[in-house]
Amino acid sequence: MDAISEEDRARFERHLARCAECAQEIASLREATARLATATAQTPPPGLKERVMAAAATTRQRSPVTADVPARSAWVRDARIRTRAWLRSLAWRGRLVVAAAAMATVAVLGAAVVFGVSNGTMRQQLSQAQASSQQAAAVLTARDATMMARTVRGGGTATIVMSHSMHALVFTAAGLHALPASRAYEVWLIGSSGDRLVGMFPQARDHMVGPVIASGLRSGDHLALTVEPAGGTSRPTSPMMLDLVL
Amino acid sequence: MARGDSAAFDAVYEQIASSVFGVVKRVIRDPAQSEEVTQDVLLDIWQDASKFDAERGSAVAWVMTLAHRRAVDRVRSVQKEAERERRVARDDIPYDEVAEAVESSLERERVRRCLGSLTELQRESVTLAYYGGYTYGQVAGLLGVPTGTIKTRMRDALIRLRDCLGVAS
Repeated sequence: MDAISEEDRARFERHLARCAECAQEIASLREATARLATATAQTPPPGLKERVMAAAATTRQRSPVTADVPARSAWVRDARIRTRAWLRSLAWRGRLVVAAAAMATVAVLGAAVVFGVSNGTMRQQLSQAQASSQQAAAVLTARDATMMARTVRGGGTATIVMSHSMHALVFTAAGLHALPASRAYEVWLIGSSGDRLVGMFPQARDHMVGPVIASGLRSGDHLALTVEPAGGTSRPTSPMMLDLVL
Repeated sequence: MARGDSAAFDAVYEQIASSVFGVVKRVIRDPAQSEEVTQDVLLDIWQDASKFDAERGSAVAWVMTLAHRRAVDRVRSVQKEAERERRVARDDIPYDEVAEAVESSLERERVRRCLGSLTELQRESVTLAYYGGYTYGQVAGLLGVPTGTIKTRMRDALIRLRDCLGVAS
């Protein structure tokens, strides 16, 4: 909250360094206060982006270490790799969160327009879409979220972000082959309790599938991608283009 | 600097700039100063990305903690208390801004609802301290309540907010 004075802050941080439990509580409260910040989001003035990007282009990234000369170059290298990975994952997750939110809402609004759905139903569906995009956002930003990328047999790349603590994952695939109208991509969870359809995608728009959320994961579950008849099937019937043990 | 990094930073900017600017402006209020601090914060994120420690929390929390702290530091160092605009909205998050992405307006609604679930004293304490950038002592003075009480109420409030917002503890 930054509600303490400069001197208190220093004392407090020294204490935190020694108290794991306090640090844990602070970390979780920090996540909550970050939400107070994101709730105030507003569009920055035009021109800011250009200035920031221009300044970044001429500013070196700092490495976390200064001492110990022999160890330094390795540290610097590791730090650069970490930085890059972190920036990428943040950037990538951001795009996905926005895509997930936008897609869910656009899909429902589109359906409402096409079918002239009554207000109550539409509201209900919208709130469902919003709930699912929030769920996707929660998985993508979970502290234990891990990202995996796998090659799809026959072309394309699947990206999975999984949170063990939430027993959920977000799946997307890109660069897929376009399918004839009679076929559809289907994403499955295959486990001891049977096969569950996670999502069906009749047209891989822009050669993409997803983002789609699979929840209720159990250890040993497989995530699979198949091509099925467009009407859908109750279980995978064709060779798996992707089979990932979770 | 590798081109991959600036492309990544470009996307990071798209994701966090509005949140950073939002909270900085909420605390500082003056648009020009807010823009300046936002620029500093974003550059710091660029320079210090390697300091981010995933063990200690999410990247977004790291960024927002930094942004808020910079805003508060600016307010405390540059502006004299007397010059500061005292009008801190105590009960609400303002709605006067341009429409945001779907995600953030949902987020806003949720945060607003969770703030609404606090007691009045808790809500006022959190709003004054976080959005107003006041210290515990100043909040206590403004609300006419002992500092110790404010500290306990604020901690209770944050715990309640954390649980309401569904933040993993």
